[in-house]
Amino acid sequence: MNISDSLHPISLNGAAALSLSSASCLSENIKKEDNILLGAERFDHALRQGLPRTALHEVQAALKTDMPCASAFSLLLAERCRLSGQMANSPILWIDEKQSQRCKTSLYPPGLVALGIDPNQIIHAKAANIITALKTAADAVRSHAVAAVILALSGKNPRGLDLTATRRLSLFARESGVTVFLLRDTLSSLSTAAYSRWQISSAPSRPLEANAPGHPVFDVKLLRHRRGIEGLSSRLEWNCDSRIFEEQAPDISAVPAVSVFGTDYQEQRRRA
Amino acid sequence: MEKSRGALILAALDRQAQEHGLHIAMPLADARARVPELIIFDHDGDADTQLLEKLAEACERYTPMVALHLPQSLVLDISGCVHLFGNEQILVQDVEDRFDGAGLSVQWALAGTVDAALALARFGLKEGAQAQLPVAALDMNERTHKALERAGLYHIGDLADRPRAPLAARFGAELVLKLERLLGQEDRPVNPKRKSSAIITERRFAEPMGHIDSALLCLHELFIEAAHILEERKQGARKIRMQLFRCDGHVANLAIETGAPTRDDKLFRRLLNERIDTLNDPLDPGFGYDLVRLSIAAAESLNAVQTDINGERDAASDEAALLSQLSIRLGRQDVQRFEPANSYIPEHGLHTRAALDYKKPFVWDRPESGAPPARPLFLFDPPQHIEVMAEVPDGPPRRFKWKRVTHDVTHAEGPERIASTWWRRRQGHLPGNAGLTRDYYRVEDSEGRRYWLFRYGLYGTEKAQPDWFIHGSFA
Repeated sequence: MNISDSLHPISLNGAAALSLSSASCLSENIKKEDNILLGAERFDHALRQGLPRTALHEVQAALKTDMPCASAFSLLLAERCRLSGQMANSPILWIDEKQSQRCKTSLYPPGLVALGIDPNQIIHAKAANIITALKTAADAVRSHAVAAVILALSGKNPRGLDLTATRRLSLFARESGVTVFLLRDTLSSLSTAAYSRWQISSAPSRPLEANAPGHPVFDVKLLRHRRGIEGLSSRLEWNCDSRIFEEQAPDISAVPAVSVFGTDYQEQRRRA
Repeated sequence: MEKSRGALILAALDRQAQEHGLHIAMPLADARARVPELIIFDHDGDADTQLLEKLAEACERYTPMVALHLPQSLVLDISGCVHLFGNEQILVQDVEDRFDGAGLSVQWALAGTVDAALALARFGLKEGAQAQLPVAALDMNERTHKALERAGLYHIGDLADRPRAPLAARFGAELVLKLERLLGQEDRPVNPKRKSSAIITERRFAEPMGHIDSALLCLHELFIEAAHILEERKQGARKIRMQLFRCDGHVANLAIETGAPTRDDKLFRRLLNERIDTLNDPLDPGFGYDLVRLSIAAAESLNAVQTDINGERDAASDEAALLSQLSIRLGRQDVQRFEPANSYIPEHGLHTRAALDYKKPFVWDRPESGAPPARPLFLFDPPQHIEVMAEVPDGPPRRFKWKRVTHDVTHAEGPERIASTWWRRRQGHLPGNAGLTRDYYRVEDSEGRRYWLFRYGLYGTEKAQPDWFIHGSFA
């Protein structure tokens, strides 16, 4: 006991001195570590250094057919979250509802590998109903055992999913530091306690030679953000090798121009 | 009553019917002629077996070595368990009392070997009376029994002193083997219903305990006891089996499986509560439990670890605890991890294994860098049929219809040809027997959604009009 008593203050002092000497640098680092960066610089900047790690984020597919894209987006965010934090060795828990035996759509491990996600780090839990799924997610978030939890729910108003349930999830997330992604297969304005809400749809890729489909491309739109960032939307391409999102130069003819920096402008106007 | 070779015969009788002179295997018509007021039921062998299994479970209170001997016997290996009850007489008396309480009558016998005990019980004799058994106790076929009797050998005692070689020559080696087993000269091991576990802790109560909470508390204490033994052996529990014996003979079985060896009683309590919450039929103490038993069914080595001085959480043990909890709640097979398949057939890549069985990380084949994903993120199981229009019959699709929606293909890559596993088929090496080849295409439709399609069969050579299927969707 004596040894540890005498050692502790010294190490603490050391740490304090270090933090004082390079306070500005460290604080920035810590801030970056607490957030999930997508990799696209302009985008991360507009989000004020990415998404907070200790929160609940909601990802909605624009249409049911965009579900693979929305799933991929949340998986990739979870993977970036896992890699960048201190929990690099903790797995990602994917929770969904049990499907009927006749026609299943399941996560395909070779496809995960192809996206740059390690299938060893994915635990797949199949819940019998939504209540069980929410309970499972809550326990997992509380346990410190996983890096991120993805809760995939189908339907517009799943029974049991409400403000209370999501609030509980986000509170647990804030305590334990486990990021929660709520993945929905439809657009829904159901009020949840999510920190941010995203609408994802798939976008045409940049074709490779011989007219082959290219890398995965997502149309990403921020629907709601706790800090009032509005109107953020972009077209992001996932780079499987460097494992970052890259912003595609918006094709002016195809997409109505939405300024990425519109939010800053709005905020300046509000202040003025 | 049951049907045998087209005739209805009696399969089982109650005591009253026996007193009227009826016997088993008597044709129903004969029985009706003797006792017109006979009440008959269909014979239900499965129900009998189930009852016997329940009784076997209830008998585990005497010894862990309980074996079923169909159709109507139980074998209890009580060696080493007798002193717990006092002596054999008290044990047998207890068995009789309990069966009596359940409304059943029991024929029992004690003997040194399984076969001797079974034969004695069947013919209502007691220990040491093997010589008086009729030759039918050998349980050979009817002809052998008749032949023995014709030779003047009516009892086992008559056979016992005879030299074995002539007997074997006349009636076969099986008879000699059975005879020696009956006489206790050769033993056959008991094949118990359950493998006995290394560590068993139990509590017996003079007064049955009527509350679930106290039973759970008792289990908790038993686990702490077992954990001490495990600690001495440097082991941790992987599978824990619990039995709650109700005083009316019903036994509630509970089992817990953990993701990593553990001796942590807090974790055990949490998992136990989870187990109780997810039971399909809740525990019913009824008139109370009079014996609670906890056994460690599987253990693995676990060295004592010192917790971090800062009280840091141990991620690995957190993970194991979470997986155990979820496996109990959702079911063992519904918490899983992916396992690479040693096959190039795409749907074999869906292999999973229960997360509790997962030992070490697998090695996955990395695709070449710079290329877009060649495999979809989601796979449809089974592949779904689609209607396809292509410019040329063996070319990439131009337009396809899936779930009543038409998709225009803007980009396509392929074909990636995947042959069938012809070596697994009968005569697969001959042309025409190899099974259909699949031509896979990666396509993107006008709205930017990417799919994985395949043509089932080579156009012209394998099939005149190959069908198309959609097998997956990319991100």
